Amino acid sequence: MSQWLSEVIAEGQRQNDWLSGNRQQATAALANVKWPVRRQEAWRFTPLVPVEKRTVSLAGPSEQQSTAPVIDGLEAYSLSFTGNQLSDEQGQVPEGLTFTLFSKADEAQQASIQALLGQVKPSHHLFGQVNDALLTEGVYIHVPANTVIDTPIRLTQLAASAGDQHLRVLVHIEAGAKVSVIEDGFGDADSLNTFVSEYVLEAQAELEHYRFAMYTQQAMHVGSCHFKVAEKAQLTSNIVGYGSVLSRLDVDVEYTGEFANANLNAIYLLAEGELFDLHSTIEHAVPNCTTEENARGIVGDRAKAVFNGRIHIHRDAQKTLAELNNRNLLLSRRAVVNTKPELEIYADDVRCAHGATVAEIEEKALYYLLTRGISRSQALIMLNFGFIQELITQIPNAAVSDWLLHRLRERFVSMEVK
Amino acid sequence: MSDQIEQALSKQYEAGFYSEIESDTFENGLDESVIRRISAIKNEPEWMLEWRLKAYRSWLEMEEPEWAHVDYEKVDYQAISYYSSPKSMKDKPKSLDEVDPDLLDVYNKLGIPLHEQEMLAGVAVDAVFDSVSVVTTFREKLEEAGVIFCPISEAIQKYPELVKKYIGSVVPRTDNYFAALNSAVFTDGSFVYIPKGVRCPMELSTYFRINEQNTGQFERTLIVADEGSHVSYLEGCTAPQRDENQLHAAVVELVALDKANIKYSTVQNWYPGDENGKGGIYNFVTKRGICHNDAKISWTQVETGSSVTWKYPSCVLKGDNSIGEFYSVALTRGRQQADTGTKMIHLGKNTRSTIISKGISAGKSNNAYRGLVQMGPKADNARNFTQCDSLLIGDQCGAHTFPYIESRNPSAIVEHEATTSKVSDEQMFLCQQRGLDAEKAVSMIVNGFCKEVFKELPMEFAVEAGKLLEISLEGSVG
Repeated sequence: MSQWLSEVIAEGQRQNDWLSGNRQQATAALANVKWPVRRQEAWRFTPLVPVEKRTVSLAGPSEQQSTAPVIDGLEAYSLSFTGNQLSDEQGQVPEGLTFTLFSKADEAQQASIQALLGQVKPSHHLFGQVNDALLTEGVYIHVPANTVIDTPIRLTQLAASAGDQHLRVLVHIEAGAKVSVIEDGFGDADSLNTFVSEYVLEAQAELEHYRFAMYTQQAMHVGSCHFKVAEKAQLTSNIVGYGSVLSRLDVDVEYTGEFANANLNAIYLLAEGELFDLHSTIEHAVPNCTTEENARGIVGDRAKAVFNGRIHIHRDAQKTLAELNNRNLLLSRRAVVNTKPELEIYADDVRCAHGATVAEIEEKALYYLLTRGISRSQALIMLNFGFIQELITQIPNAAVSDWLLHRLRERFVSMEVK
Repeated sequence: MSDQIEQALSKQYEAGFYSEIESDTFENGLDESVIRRISAIKNEPEWMLEWRLKAYRSWLEMEEPEWAHVDYEKVDYQAISYYSSPKSMKDKPKSLDEVDPDLLDVYNKLGIPLHEQEMLAGVAVDAVFDSVSVVTTFREKLEEAGVIFCPISEAIQKYPELVKKYIGSVVPRTDNYFAALNSAVFTDGSFVYIPKGVRCPMELSTYFRINEQNTGQFERTLIVADEGSHVSYLEGCTAPQRDENQLHAAVVELVALDKANIKYSTVQNWYPGDENGKGGIYNFVTKRGICHNDAKISWTQVETGSSVTWKYPSCVLKGDNSIGEFYSVALTRGRQQADTGTKMIHLGKNTRSTIISKGISAGKSNNAYRGLVQMGPKADNARNFTQCDSLLIGDQCGAHTFPYIESRNPSAIVEHEATTSKVSDEQMFLCQQRGLDAEKAVSMIVNGFCKEVFKELPMEFAVEAGKLLEISLEGSVG
């Protein structure tokens, strides 16, 4: 076992509050964990060495005033978390839903949180367990049946100060309800963040979900989003990843009812020596569900992108439709892409396909633009950026889409200039 | 270890060697003395023995790999005999009448001539009359061309320089668990050398190596194609082969020097075990080829047998402009498990590779494609295309795809596509409407599914492979 993990266990056992029961369970499980080494498939390309070298220290309140970047035109109920506590609040709690901070939960709320906590994420998820053991603040959102919430909820985690942060999000969307949640993370401070969110979508529920892991530099991030999707429920999730010294996001979707569908789009844009690792797992445990997953990445400089997309179709999951596509552009000779789209299929009446490509821009396309008087650098930006722009424009929330387009273009241009 | 023991051991062997080797079957178990005895029986030079011992020592340090998508009872390596001389005539069936009628039935369906049936079923025949003359003319022709084709043990004696230079150069002793084991104890296999600029006058086949009929469980094959030469090698045969050994851990090394071309075709149909998957063969094979400048290696395989298959014929595209190809049909049924695929390691500039893999799963079997395409930083303008298709027949089987793509070069292009489907009701309806019964219809559809791979096989092989699939699929439908 690594020194770091023993410290996590000790720290988890030291914490004494109403979540102690959960913490005890997690630390007990962690005590038996085999620390991932490179020979383990899930961490093959993403060594945990930077985590091993850390000592556990929970971030305290930040002295600097740090607020989340503004998304123009977005009217949302926005909360920012720095140093393991709420640091900023904008807007009103949308009408119709219950919103609870873990730190302010009354006894009844504590009971509902405890009932849901850890129910969606796979029990063996290592950094999920670390989050269980150490979480200091969390958000619990409950959307009652048939309630449509128009105002998005934005939850921002800021890695503005040194130290570890473990934020937890629990969302329970009852039958026929609809909500949109934006989770984003920023910052470059020397820190480790596990940002774990769990979503339960009951029958016919709809969730529009965003996860932007925009940590850079020394801000380590090992986060995850987990979804349980019931009958006829619909999930769309848009993911954006930057890279830092270590940035990893696990996305798990499990279908619990038939005729549900999930649409996942992911974009990563990596520069310098950044690392971003996206692992997605789709569990088709029941028949008649549909998955479409598209991940596209641009990798420049000495950056490294890791993608692992797993679709698992269980024995009885007949009539499943699943498609997964991962496309990568390499901009530099020192950039690396490791991708693995996996299919594991145990039912015969299914239609599944996956594809992956790694390439650079086609000469012909470039030539076409050059002949039209566009400069080479401009043409390269158009073509390379166009590659991910396609996914950005599909984002349902116009304000978010515009903001992302702008922000990603800026990042891309700065990458190109180097 | 004391010298006395050493001496005692070698004495024991001396006696064994000078008396008839025929009666020599080692007791179960593996230690250094077993390897010394194997080496001594084969009358190997010192360096070969050293090589084996080094392999054995590193094998002891290694762990059996567990990453493959297969589940089997682990082999007890101390419960295997690592050397047994060719069986004496007494133990073999006297005639085809004593052979399992089911086996004969399959032979007849494949249209295998009677004397070949005898050979395959292991019937004791003093000389396979027809074959002998065939083999003699065959050998003469090869000698004329300067091609060396002989058992590897013979090559170690006759061409030590060649063997020493190339053995382990593609699959190192310590490459993996099973390759290390093979390196320590191999007793059998072929050696092929094609001189510069020679186009081998015929397709080489293990089938013609009659003195080596009883292919061992630890085969080692080494094929060296010198500059500008050309060879096509066939391994195995479509007929189901009987074998007492459960574990097969072969190693195949191909060396294609500049502008050489090697085509390696395999049809594998070892015993797959009974309906519960008991008693089938474990086929844990390491196959790899290295391509120098402008060279080409093409692997084609049709895998229908064995209860567990663990096999990844690979190409190291070291030279500029070299080409690697992999065409595979893997069919699993009953309780068979296959984890097979390829690795294409692009190191040189303008290297190209194509992977076409067709997996068919029926019954309660599991069939996985596992492949790696790696583009090195110097592999400018390298290109790979991969297509993996799976076909499921029945709802109790599994089809899996695990493609690893690792690129470190922006000008390299990698494309991977995979689909999974079943034999559709429409296709079946169309065929049945035209008077084909369900079984014929499925076999036709499956044949169509595999066509891209079959067309890469030498013609006679392709016809047989088609028939083989048909027979293997019997009873899987409906």
